[in-house]
Amino acid sequence: MKRIVSCAALALTTAITANSIAADYPSRNITAAVVWGAGGGTDTAVRVVANEMNKFLPTRINVVNKTGGVAGSAGMLYGHSKPADGYTIVGISESNVTAAVNGGWDKKFSVWYPFIIGGSPDLISVTANSPYKTLEDLMAAAKKAPKSIKAAASGAGSIHHLNLLALENGTGAKFSFIPYKGSAPGQNAAITGEVTVVVTSLAEQQQLLKAKKLRPLAMLVKEDTTVEGVGTIPSAFKSVAGLDKYLPIGQAIGMGIRADAPDAAKKVLTEAFKKALETDKVKQWAADNFFTISGQTGDEASATFAGLESLFSWTLHELGAAKVDPATLGIAKP
Amino acid sequence: MAFFTNLGTFFQTIGGMLTDPYTVLLLLGSSFLGIIFGALPGLTATLGVALLTTLTYSMDLQTALIALISMYVGAVYGGSYPSILINIPGTAAAAATALDGYPMAQRGDGGKALGLTTTASFIGTVIGMIALIAFAPLIADAALQFTSYEFFLLAFFGIIISGTLTSDDLVYKGWIAGLLGLALSTIGRDQLQSYPRFTFGIPELEGGIEVVPVLIGAFAIPQIIKSMRDRLVLGKAQPIKRILPEFMTIVKNFKHIVRSALIGVGIGAVPGVGEDIAGWVSYGTTKNSHPHPENFGKGEPAGIIASETANNACIGGALIPLVTLGIPGSPPAVMLLGALMLHGLNPGPLVVITQPNFLYQLCAIMALASLAMWINGMFLTKHVIKVLRVPATVFLPIVTVLSVVGSYALGLSIFNLFLMVPVGIIAYLLGEMDYPISPLVIGVILGPMADENLRRALMISEGSLMGFIERPVSILLLLAILLTVCSQIPAWKRMTNQIKAKVFKRKAS
Repeated sequence: MKRIVSCAALALTTAITANSIAADYPSRNITAAVVWGAGGGTDTAVRVVANEMNKFLPTRINVVNKTGGVAGSAGMLYGHSKPADGYTIVGISESNVTAAVNGGWDKKFSVWYPFIIGGSPDLISVTANSPYKTLEDLMAAAKKAPKSIKAAASGAGSIHHLNLLALENGTGAKFSFIPYKGSAPGQNAAITGEVTVVVTSLAEQQQLLKAKKLRPLAMLVKEDTTVEGVGTIPSAFKSVAGLDKYLPIGQAIGMGIRADAPDAAKKVLTEAFKKALETDKVKQWAADNFFTISGQTGDEASATFAGLESLFSWTLHELGAAKVDPATLGIAKP
Repeated sequence: MAFFTNLGTFFQTIGGMLTDPYTVLLLLGSSFLGIIFGALPGLTATLGVALLTTLTYSMDLQTALIALISMYVGAVYGGSYPSILINIPGTAAAAATALDGYPMAQRGDGGKALGLTTTASFIGTVIGMIALIAFAPLIADAALQFTSYEFFLLAFFGIIISGTLTSDDLVYKGWIAGLLGLALSTIGRDQLQSYPRFTFGIPELEGGIEVVPVLIGAFAIPQIIKSMRDRLVLGKAQPIKRILPEFMTIVKNFKHIVRSALIGVGIGAVPGVGEDIAGWVSYGTTKNSHPHPENFGKGEPAGIIASETANNACIGGALIPLVTLGIPGSPPAVMLLGALMLHGLNPGPLVVITQPNFLYQLCAIMALASLAMWINGMFLTKHVIKVLRVPATVFLPIVTVLSVVGSYALGLSIFNLFLMVPVGIIAYLLGEMDYPISPLVIGVILGPMADENLRRALMISEGSLMGFIERPVSILLLLAILLTVCSQIPAWKRMTNQIKAKVFKRKAS
């Protein structure tokens, strides 16, 4: 009897403590470790949103940068080595899903409970003085002489390269893909005419479009987009039938806490996150930077990341650029 | 009229900043921190600006820029201290400074060398700033004509010229050292197809050879071994007699200063190429156009002035494509772009319309940053020269520890030490056989750029080499490389001397 009572008491105290931990969350400051460098796209987005989340939380989120490793693995290993109590957030982007196949770490992306802020949509542009005025012009020329038109889209296996591949698959056109180390050198090459076509995000291209150094042909998302000083860029989905089977492949910049963190912490953070995305400051920042807000959390966000993980991992594998076979990691084929 | 309004903004910004004690403190503090960053082997301007970016998030844009630009200017300048004093460049950008700075320090002119560096860096920064304010759109357009061909040739030119310059009679050895550096740089996954090369299954080699441990290993370790072996006295520390440095030397070398600054601005404006190459190219050009090229490498003040003016003028150059198109011109400018975006400012063609005062504010900040650097420098040179009075038995272990820490601190990786030590020992042995070391390091730094761009150029031309002679900038670079190589061939030297003699004779008669 005594034993049962003490057991019950123990269970009760545990429950109360657990509850009080949960009810108290957050009782101290939260650390957000951005796995990419200070001032980069992920860093900026996470800092802007975290700053607004602070207004809806009793304590603060302090943003730090933990860079290095392979595809941000150093920061993710750091975040994952901390207790699953919701006090450590990682600032991540879609490129982090390749950390496992690149040998940075051995975990699937499902170890995170993600919050997706969003990303900037990709578009296809050409050199300003090239003869191609519309996407149809370009596709007709590319089909007429396959692989004769040179295209830049950051490195092999990058999100922009995946967009270019998807566009090729959706239209049947074939380009000669020239890899560049990052978006900026590829865009420069398109300005000089070294390559004709470039696929990068609107945030990265906007200044060059405004300076008339590049001519935008089509957005690789469902919606048309209007850029001040450039005009309306039509969606490729209108001119190419059936493109929605392959696109959009969007950037997914956001945050994550360990998936095994307490539900209470997930709930508190989700609420603050959703409220932060509704603030004028975040909305204004997104508009200024051509950033599309997603706002996905929980299962929805996990599904997005799982899809990206599968797509990225298997594309890299097919390009021969993956170090680890995605099958051995249990990543399903897209 | 608009010019005067803008000039008003420029001075208004300067005045506003100077009346706020907090700003002045921040200016001098960041500049000082930058010099320390530059002077410590392993810490670079890029790293300094990156670390400071995180700290400036809560500041307003102008205050943040003051801190970041001061840091950048200070760090590019600070690299020259250890170059001159102990022959270990603090940053790759200051490697050319060591060629003449260290001999000067050894013969007791260390104070003079540091003074010249300070003023040359100051003038370089200011000329860079003037170029930024006056010719930004023009230079940006020219710099954007660089394609893969030109990038390859520029990188190759940098390696060849550093091989040529480091020693006159050993030019083949300089090139061999450069090629060794190039070979080292091919280790790791290649940039275009991510195919692992020479990695021997070692995961740490996948990302390629890190520059910082190679830089520290190649320069610091041989210097430490040599100093211990020969019981070398570091240099003679003579008290600096005058605070204002050698105005006569500056005036005498004014031609070189202007040329070096223009080279710095031009190279800075080309995206992705920065202070490292600027110092070498300017040093080479100055040497070739100097009436006494044989003095270079033996403590010629013009040598220091050339590299230090150019690497600081590079800053203004690097900001030109950043401000006009949002394309950073050098690695630290990449960090600066990030910081600007963090503060909600997207530099680009529209910045002139949306933030008309930005360019002038930026230039005002640069002017103040260079002034802060100069003040700090003048204060510091009087004291750092005393380092030479510290007995080598005390000083060298400290340098050793700093070198090890500097290598390790980069990514907190113990593997960097495994890389640094063998590179250092090989560099020492090469040095014993009279191979210069700088070309090896420059090879490692510029190798990836040369490799990636050559292969991409051939990929684009589908294997044809015609691209190299079809483009104007490319032809110029190619000619520069050919001339550099030919000028070292004895037969060619004899021939040019004969021609010169003949022409001279005819003139005389």
